[in-house]
Amino acid sequence: MELFFSIRKNRIFMSFVAIIFFINLLNIIFNTPMIADQHWAQKIFYVHVPSAWVGFLSYFVVMISGFMLFIKNNDNWDNLGLAAAEIGTFFMGIVLITGPIWAKPIWGTFWIWEPRLTTTLILFLFYLGYFMFRSFGGNIERIRRQSAALGIIAFINVPIIFLSVQFWEPEIQSHPQVEMVSQPAGILYPFIFSLISFTLLFILMLRYRSHIIKFKNIL
Amino acid sequence: MGVFLKKMFYSLIKKELLIEFRSKQIILSMLIFGLAIILIFALSSNVSSEILINYSAGMFWLMSLFIVVIGVHRSFAYEKEFDAFSLLVSAPVDRGLIFLSKWVSGFIFITTTQLIIIIPFFKLLLLDIPADLYLFILTSMLINLGMMAIANLVSGIVIRSNFSEILLPILIFPLLSPLMIAATKISYGIINSQSYEIWNVWVLIVISIVVLFGLAGYALFDFIVEE
Repeated sequence: MELFFSIRKNRIFMSFVAIIFFINLLNIIFNTPMIADQHWAQKIFYVHVPSAWVGFLSYFVVMISGFMLFIKNNDNWDNLGLAAAEIGTFFMGIVLITGPIWAKPIWGTFWIWEPRLTTTLILFLFYLGYFMFRSFGGNIERIRRQSAALGIIAFINVPIIFLSVQFWEPEIQSHPQVEMVSQPAGILYPFIFSLISFTLLFILMLRYRSHIIKFKNIL
Repeated sequence: MGVFLKKMFYSLIKKELLIEFRSKQIILSMLIFGLAIILIFALSSNVSSEILINYSAGMFWLMSLFIVVIGVHRSFAYEKEFDAFSLLVSAPVDRGLIFLSKWVSGFIFITTTQLIIIIPFFKLLLLDIPADLYLFILTSMLINLGMMAIANLVSGIVIRSNFSEILLPILIFPLLSPLMIAATKISYGIINSQSYEIWNVWVLIVISIVVLFGLAGYALFDFIVEE
């Protein structure tokens, strides 16, 4: 089995993603407009929202991989599911760090039990348990199937968590929500570019990580 | 459900209830643990009953959550002895029915425990018993169905791994968080004699959890316990 970066198309794709991501960073820092009452804090949103998107996308991939593992019974789906779970948890961690950094100057507090942040926190904690479960061992075949089931039940719980938190305490969620789609073009286009950059990074990380996991399993 | 499946299901339920009837381990341990939690709540909540009544619904469900964890773990731990679980899943039994039998028996155990413990809970915390006690119990039974669906599904997953007693709460608590919000809201509404319109949305959320995780458990259990 070849190393990931010894394959030419992977090297080209990585270079492409690196360039896009570098342009994205420069664009966020130097090109996006400063908002009067938010200043630098607003720029966190170009990282925060795409990270949340990638995090939920990763967990969606975990669920799909879980279904596919049950249908096809092919270990590659487990490798993909594990890789997506790792990447998802990494990006959810970024969401949980950048969210409070933005919230402090804007909302005056580090933490609000806001539906999206709360859903992120619950999923993040669940996936820490998921990794513990995978690493505590047992029959490897069984762990694969059971992890797939965990990935499925975690994702089907997402809409319920979101709805529950939304109905929970409306008064503590009265802070202004930031809807990126209603922003002016100067903010919206760099945001979409950032979203695409993060998605490309996710694809690269997913391919790389699942390759590594497959390699490790062979060894 | 065909006659054969019905018989199979009743046999599995009978097995669960018979084991518990003979050993009384699950209900007894849940009951004693629940009383110990009430004791700690009563001693540590140094506030007036006007304030405490606002927390009582949350306390009740926190206690229920803890006792569910030990009850469900015990229910599956039986199966580990002499590797009975491997024998059970290798028997010609629909594995979805194993989940259903664990779910129903778990529901009976937690409901029985709650029925015994509900009066001491309010009395030891020096609170009035809810005026609409029947409604409180009825809605608690619905919530118990949801809790047990999730708890048994996760327990079936982790039971044969090392450190299952640690993994179980770590995985269950985040999954149960929406149900806990709903349970607290419903019970708070009943304790404070709020009208049904205020908390009916939470009943719908609990019903959706029961249906979703009941179906998921039935469908996935076959793959989860496969040898």
